[in-house]
Amino acid sequence: MEREDPSIRDLPSAPRPRAHELPDPQDPRTEWINEITEDTDITSLPTAQLYELNQNLLDSSISSATPLMAELAPLTVLRAEYEGGSDSFVKQIDFLISKGYEGIRRSRGDGDCFYRSLAFAYIERIFNAEDWGIAAAKSISTLEAFLPKLHEAGFDGMVIDESYEIPRDLIRSIVEPNPGSNNGQTLTPAQLLEVFQNDSQSNYIVMFMRMLTSAQIRGNPEEYEPFLTHPDLGEQMGVKEFCEAVVEVLGREADHVQVTAISEALKVNVAIAYFDGRDKDGNVEFVKFNKAIDPSEAPVTLIYRPGHYDILDRRSIEALPFNM
Amino acid sequence: MSVVYSRRLKKELQEIQIEQADPTKRAAGIQLLQADDLKIWFFSIEVLGESLYKNEVFHLMVRFDPEYPFKSPAVQFVVSDKVKPPVHPHVYTNGHICASILGDDWSPTLSVMAICITIQSMLASCKKKELPEGNDDYVRTAPDNPKKTRFVYHDDTV
Repeated sequence: MEREDPSIRDLPSAPRPRAHELPDPQDPRTEWINEITEDTDITSLPTAQLYELNQNLLDSSISSATPLMAELAPLTVLRAEYEGGSDSFVKQIDFLISKGYEGIRRSRGDGDCFYRSLAFAYIERIFNAEDWGIAAAKSISTLEAFLPKLHEAGFDGMVIDESYEIPRDLIRSIVEPNPGSNNGQTLTPAQLLEVFQNDSQSNYIVMFMRMLTSAQIRGNPEEYEPFLTHPDLGEQMGVKEFCEAVVEVLGREADHVQVTAISEALKVNVAIAYFDGRDKDGNVEFVKFNKAIDPSEAPVTLIYRPGHYDILDRRSIEALPFNM
Repeated sequence: MSVVYSRRLKKELQEIQIEQADPTKRAAGIQLLQADDLKIWFFSIEVLGESLYKNEVFHLMVRFDPEYPFKSPAVQFVVSDKVKPPVHPHVYTNGHICASILGDDWSPTLSVMAICITIQSMLASCKKKELPEGNDDYVRTAPDNPKKTRFVYHDDTV
């Protein structure tokens, strides 16, 4: 059966303020109430304050619900969540398990999940490579070779250096002890996870991934322009406009175009398992973006549930530290 | 991890100070007036050459929170006895600016200088000096910090 392009359906639209959510300047309830207690009648709050209150609640529920990047969990945990629900989802999980995918590493659903998941899986793959010294050197040389394209794309030199530093040091520290570490040890899997769970460091990595994606699109307009559409409105967009509004802004989700561009920039094979409960027989389609120099290279594998990306793994529990 | 955040600001400040000392590098018409700490900076902005704002100088206040650069800074024109905000369809008389890069479309790849340049070119390309629609109502009810306002961005071309 011919499948429609998964990128064009099921994507949730980004939250946008609607007119009725905006503070009404005519609203007589304009005095902000300083202390909100259980007894406060929230209907007495000015619209603007109510809006902010809602937004804060939403923000805090996102930040406390899932870490930016979680520990590896067995896929059976996900299975349990879907039991009692649609049968086709459970079948799809069983299909994945039968193909040797036993684990899932979840990322927070903050719109950056694609970039964060891909970055983590990309660096972890170097970690797990048979010869991690060569894998790390290859990755660093790919990134270094790409830096001039970031300058050409118009990013500020200081901003480039700042965002490249964290992924570069991480990859280097797989092989050689980080100059900053006091015990002279190389990176452990636990430390890698820690970096991805740290708000600032993790966001710098996301930002770097977004810059790579943007520069790849900006540098090859003829290749990408026909596919650039507004994520909500579906209108055609220009390269600059698309990169500025959709790629470079944190929290804006990635679509087919961005996945293609970043795979190309990193020269990596990416496979995305589309987990959408659509196939009655429980088959899961893997959409492949083969951009590695060696096409047979094992891909970085993500799992896509409509609106969200996590990492799919062949292991179901965390690896032990290498250097113990 | 506020260490990392303020490191970015320190680097930006350093870069701005180096540029300002070198007439060949500095952005014409933009000057750092004050940056005593990493929380609040002031710039003067003027549009050089022909524009509706010839011979007018404006002051911009930029406030950072600890999440900069992942959250946008709060940027507004200073309103005082000495300086007034520009009369512009996207600038309210309390100094608040309606520009998407200061809100929804903020990207951490932008810098403070990039903001100043964007605002300068917003003034340079203005065709008609007029206040935003609903200025009085907005100014009457606006929060002190413009980041607390949800602006609706309709027109990037003005």
